[in-house]
Amino acid sequence: MASISARRLAKELREIQLEGCPVGIALVTADDFATWRFSIEVMGESLYEGEQYLLQFRFDSQYPISSPAVQFVVGPERESPIHPHVYSNGHICASILGTEWSPVLSVVAVCVTLQSMLASCKKKERPVDNDRYVRTAPENPKKTRFHYDDDNV
Amino acid sequence: MNMTTGRSSDPPSPSAPQAPEIPNGGSEISGLPTEITPETDLASLSQSQLYELNQNLLEDSVPTRALIEDIAPMSVLRAEYENGSQSFVKQIDSLVAKGFNSIRRARGDGDCFYRSVAFAYVDSILKAADVAIAAASAISLLESTFPMLEQAGFQKLVFEDFYDVLASLLQNIAQGTNDGKSLESKILLAFQSPEISNSIVVYLRLLTSARIRTDPDEYAPFLFHPEIGIQLEPREFCEAFVEAVGKEADHVQMTALARTLRLNLDVAYLDGRSSDGHVDFVEFRNSDSTPLTLLYRPGHYDILLKSGNGHT
Repeated sequence: MASISARRLAKELREIQLEGCPVGIALVTADDFATWRFSIEVMGESLYEGEQYLLQFRFDSQYPISSPAVQFVVGPERESPIHPHVYSNGHICASILGTEWSPVLSVVAVCVTLQSMLASCKKKERPVDNDRYVRTAPENPKKTRFHYDDDNV
Repeated sequence: MNMTTGRSSDPPSPSAPQAPEIPNGGSEISGLPTEITPETDLASLSQSQLYELNQNLLEDSVPTRALIEDIAPMSVLRAEYENGSQSFVKQIDSLVAKGFNSIRRARGDGDCFYRSVAFAYVDSILKAADVAIAAASAISLLESTFPMLEQAGFQKLVFEDFYDVLASLLQNIAQGTNDGKSLESKILLAFQSPEISNSIVVYLRLLTSARIRTDPDEYAPFLFHPEIGIQLEPREFCEAFVEAVGKEADHVQMTALARTLRLNLDVAYLDGRSSDGHVDFVEFRNSDSTPLTLLYRPGHYDILLKSGNGHT
């Protein structure tokens, strides 16, 4: 039998392919059960009007019991959204990605939550500790939070 | 030394630093370690970094417990308290006098209530007079929970994989083997495997959550934030303190789960509060079967067993 994570991700992918993503969210790549990328933009009036970001999910074999590693993709021509909970290296400070993760959440549900986090933003600014955090941040954002203790970490 | 960060403590402590929440804008996140080398000045570290450093050292020095352990005699537990609180020792002795002479431990990862109940539940089926009938009726009881889960707003996609894991374990029991002992060890191995064990824990969490969400008249008055004490809506409470992995159960979750699985459950409170060894039992009654018994110590649950329930 395929692993829990492969079975669940296969179902999530099938649902995305059959029903599409919510407005403003689109699947960019999902070639395996390790890394998926979505484009995300905020519809309607917001501080991020006309901006599009790339959101990356990385899954381990314990997904959906363990949370996916979620971050905005940054590169030479691409920045993370300027937001009080989003670091310039793309890492996101959101409890649902850490201590409040639950297997009830799906990839699309995470996209929607982050989209509405951007939509409700009142002031475009980086977290106060951005520079300090980015200087020493681990590659995988999951390692900066308390999370469920499993044996495969 | 492995400096991976972000592991939960064992057992969970209410004073453990929490991960940053959305509202505080990540002011805590800077305190978390990335690369700490032997040259790092300890004074430059934040409280949470020091805490994690300490946790990592503890984890490196103490072998991790199995998710569910084999049965151990109560004397093992007693030995751990002999040089400490005598009120705990007296309480342990009074449990033994009541016939509770063995303990089966669960790892202190915040899932120990659900994992202990799940194991004790499956184990009780394995030891039923008619194992095939007990397993079949457990499966039909679990199947009957689908409408409640859907009514609570959970997609089938979300719960069916977890259900399948528990159901296939019960099917294995129903089919049986000629060698009861090997089935017993297969169940223990299954509960020690993170994928199987955690899937079953999640299914029990979803059942608990669905019960609370679909019967708010019954549960809403008792839903409080475990640390700050404010009353929460069923949805808020369930998302943060029932569905999220690693969040320990309290009385309301126990009530909801025992009712859903139609369990009789006793929880013995080993809390050192009584000097004469008296142990309070909190009882949950939903059927006429022999109760499953858990041992509660502040912040942690294990399974308590009477003689004849296990082997050596």
